Amino acid sequence: MPSGKSSLSVSVSASAEAVIRCEQVVREYTVGESRVAAVRGIDLAIARGEFVAITGPSGCGKSTLLHLLGAIDVPSQGRVLIEGRDTATLSDREATAFRLRRIGFVFQRFYLMPMLSAQENVELPLAEAGLPPAARRARAAELLGYVGLGDRRSHRPTQLSGGEQQRVAIARALANAPALVLADEPTGELDVATGERLLELFAQLHADGTTLVFVTHDARVADSASRVVRLLDGRVQQDSAAGMMPDTA
Amino acid sequence: MPLITGMRGTLALATLRRHPARTALAILGIAVAAALLLDMVMLATGMRESFRSLLLTRGYQLRVSPKGTLPFDSEATIDGASAIVSALRANPEILAVSPSLGTTLAMPGSALPSVFTLGLEPDVQGDYALDTGDDLPVPQQATPDDQPLPAVVNRSFLLRTGRRLGDTLTVSAGLDAQLRTAARSRRVQLRGEARFFYVPEETPVLALPLAEVRRLLGPTYRDRMSLAMAGTRRGDSAAVESVRRWIAETQPRVTAISTETAIRQVEERLSYFRQLAFVLGAISLGIGFLLVATLVTLSVNERRGEIAVLRAIGTPRTGVLQQVLLEGLGLSLCGIVGGLGLGLLTARWLNGILRDFPGLPAAFNFFVWSPQAAWQSLLLLLVSGTAAGLLPAWRAASTPIAHTLREDAIG
Amino acid sequence: MGWGRRGVLATLIVWPATGLSAQAADTIRASTYGRRPPAVRGIAIDTRMAEDLGLAPGARVRLSAAPGDSGEMVEVAAIVERRADPAEVARREYRVRTHLDHLQGLLGLDDRVDRFAIGVRSGTAVDSAVARINHAAFGFRAHPSRAVAVESSRTFQVVERFHRAIGFITVVASAVFLLCLLLLSIEERKRDIAALRLMGLSRRTVVRALVLEAALVALLGCVLGAGIGTVASWLVNAHFQSLYRTPLLFALLTPGIFLFATGTSLLLGVAAGAVAAWRLVRTPPLTLMGR
Repeated sequence: MPSGKSSLSVSVSASAEAVIRCEQVVREYTVGESRVAAVRGIDLAIARGEFVAITGPSGCGKSTLLHLLGAIDVPSQGRVLIEGRDTATLSDREATAFRLRRIGFVFQRFYLMPMLSAQENVELPLAEAGLPPAARRARAAELLGYVGLGDRRSHRPTQLSGGEQQRVAIARALANAPALVLADEPTGELDVATGERLLELFAQLHADGTTLVFVTHDARVADSASRVVRLLDGRVQQDSAAGMMPDTA
Repeated sequence: MPLITGMRGTLALATLRRHPARTALAILGIAVAAALLLDMVMLATGMRESFRSLLLTRGYQLRVSPKGTLPFDSEATIDGASAIVSALRANPEILAVSPSLGTTLAMPGSALPSVFTLGLEPDVQGDYALDTGDDLPVPQQATPDDQPLPAVVNRSFLLRTGRRLGDTLTVSAGLDAQLRTAARSRRVQLRGEARFFYVPEETPVLALPLAEVRRLLGPTYRDRMSLAMAGTRRGDSAAVESVRRWIAETQPRVTAISTETAIRQVEERLSYFRQLAFVLGAISLGIGFLLVATLVTLSVNERRGEIAVLRAIGTPRTGVLQQVLLEGLGLSLCGIVGGLGLGLLTARWLNGILRDFPGLPAAFNFFVWSPQAAWQSLLLLLVSGTAAGLLPAWRAASTPIAHTLREDAIG
Repeated sequence: MGWGRRGVLATLIVWPATGLSAQAADTIRASTYGRRPPAVRGIAIDTRMAEDLGLAPGARVRLSAAPGDSGEMVEVAAIVERRADPAEVARREYRVRTHLDHLQGLLGLDDRVDRFAIGVRSGTAVDSAVARINHAAFGFRAHPSRAVAVESSRTFQVVERFHRAIGFITVVASAVFLLCLLLLSIEERKRDIAALRLMGLSRRTVVRALVLEAALVALLGCVLGAGIGTVASWLVNAHFQSLYRTPLLFALLTPGIFLFATGTSLLLGVAAGAVAAWRLVRTPPLTLMGR
């Protein structure tokens, strides 16, 4: 754990209830003149406080599934229920507000605003949620402290290493105390050592009660998760929660 | 909401600072467009306002000239001037009448062979403002022939003749080239130097009492005038128009022109510049619009991934729209501020070029600062520049999040 | 003497002789009974006046020196096209030409004129003629026609200078716009440029390709601009010729102007492309890729 970190004041009640439920979810796209099914009938339930790794070869529909779980995308068939709400019934405004307050995203490429400091990047969703400047500054500082970057608040992303940038992205994802953190290949752009340090942070988040869903082809990330769901050709091939050993190959 | 705008403003500003050279170039382009627009607005309104203030310098709202002519547009004169002037002065709606007679007098033995001469009544004249020396006295009776006539001249006269105030010289009229004589001559003394409002600065002018000019020109001009200026008691346009109509009805041998009519007729003559101003102004608006639209569009295209992430983490469409519009607004605002200074400088330069027109009254300007017109036009450019960011802003706000993230991951 | 040699400018009152001809003619015949009646003098009017008042050669009008005077009957002998003189383009008054002695008689000017126009014999120096005349002149001065032309052309010169100034400002604005656009469009393709560099293409090759592209864009834009300019000049001429009722040409796209515009555009385009390209090739390809 990075030194100097403080506990995160996020209230998450540990419960076995399903935070996310997928019911026969299908997602198809039109590519040129043909129809491609990236996800073909997935049933999945993720409980509050779980740490789930979604793995599989390239093109198996991992990222598509993550986008569906994050209300960024809507299924062609079936339902995705997040905290009981069907994402397909949400208007764009409702889905956006939902993502702002209930879901945190971490991307492979970090996607920090290069012109803003680390502090300002973390403040972005807080400002969107309507927090006054003083309150959001304090909250952003607390979050950056939590991820071990308390002394790098005023640095721009170009002045931070890859690992540090990803930590800032994690702090941003946690800004509004989301029920769920979704990460798409969070260690994909990082070296092994940095990736391992990041996994420690994720473990801390999980220990603090955050529900984590990762998409990864990194075996180390999959190993650190409490549950592994393996996809193949848009379907669930294996699910360690069903009692089967995860295939981390 | 101000919190959100503050963060979005910060983001918009940071986006513009991201590529300083590009942003600086765009601001420079908008500044040039703003300067050109400001200059064209000053040109379009300036001629009108300059001419209006020129005509109203001494408060005379009406000009009475020979039938069918504009004031001093020809050498025609009005006969029976005294009767016309008396009739005008008898009208209670008319406050003052200033008759004048323009002619050319010879100056034998002078470096300047002839001079444009104005015969005026000093107590009501509205043709000049005295700078130095003494004004023409209000004559109680004709100046004896053995005494020099008092005269007021302009700077150009003094320079061209090499004379100074206090000097005397001879003016003549009725020259006979064969007999090489002048029918009538008088000595004049240069008493004062003045600025003549309606005469070009480079034209030497000599002002004498009206009665004396008539005597010099001979019996035919005993009761003639070139023009009379009339000031109405009430200055509103309805009262002026009422008096103008009365003159037209009662004095068939003259044409009465109000300031507004004179302005319209001069505008007609100078309509080329107004239309040029309109066309160039429209072009500069278009340039400003295109520049902002192009820059914002390219900026949005570059940042599609970032914009998709902003949407993913919870920024609503209106938030993205607002942020991108703020970028356009910021560019336009900075450009306009720069354009204001640049525009005033170029206006001075262009005005100096056009002021070289021959025969232009000394007090006339083409480019005149009119605060209302200027701010209106710059506001129009600001709105136009902001609107230019509307389409790219809408496209940015409509970014399909998942599709863009996928594409960006591949790219 | 002819129409144009000696001129007297004056304002004449002209009114059509509608409804007066029979009685007026009788009156004239009566006053001159027994003597040879005076011939009706002819005048020339300009096309504008002819169009507006519906006058044709042969029409009779009354000409007088002052409003209200009876004047005399004259006949429209000719209709004259006004000169394409920019100095007179905005002037709306009608122009009437008469024989010199006719106008002198009308105005009671006796033997007066405003000016003479003098043609010297071939071989005679104009300047020495002017000097001799001025030496003997009383109450008038002689000027060489070229001096008068210079003075009267000041209007054109001012307009020309103004147009040049506007043109200069427009060129500056266009240059900035062009530079901005090229910079943006080339920067948008920085990844493509980075890929080319990584493949092994030299900086020089990349810059040359981009400059050539910029030059082509400038050239195409120029051709398009010439087309637009030609159409615009037709419209400008049609509009102002109609507005001012003059045959004067207000806008003219000459080969020289086209060459100047093409040259300037090419120069600006090449310069802008070179600046933009060189900025990019100086940056390491991986940085351009975003690594």
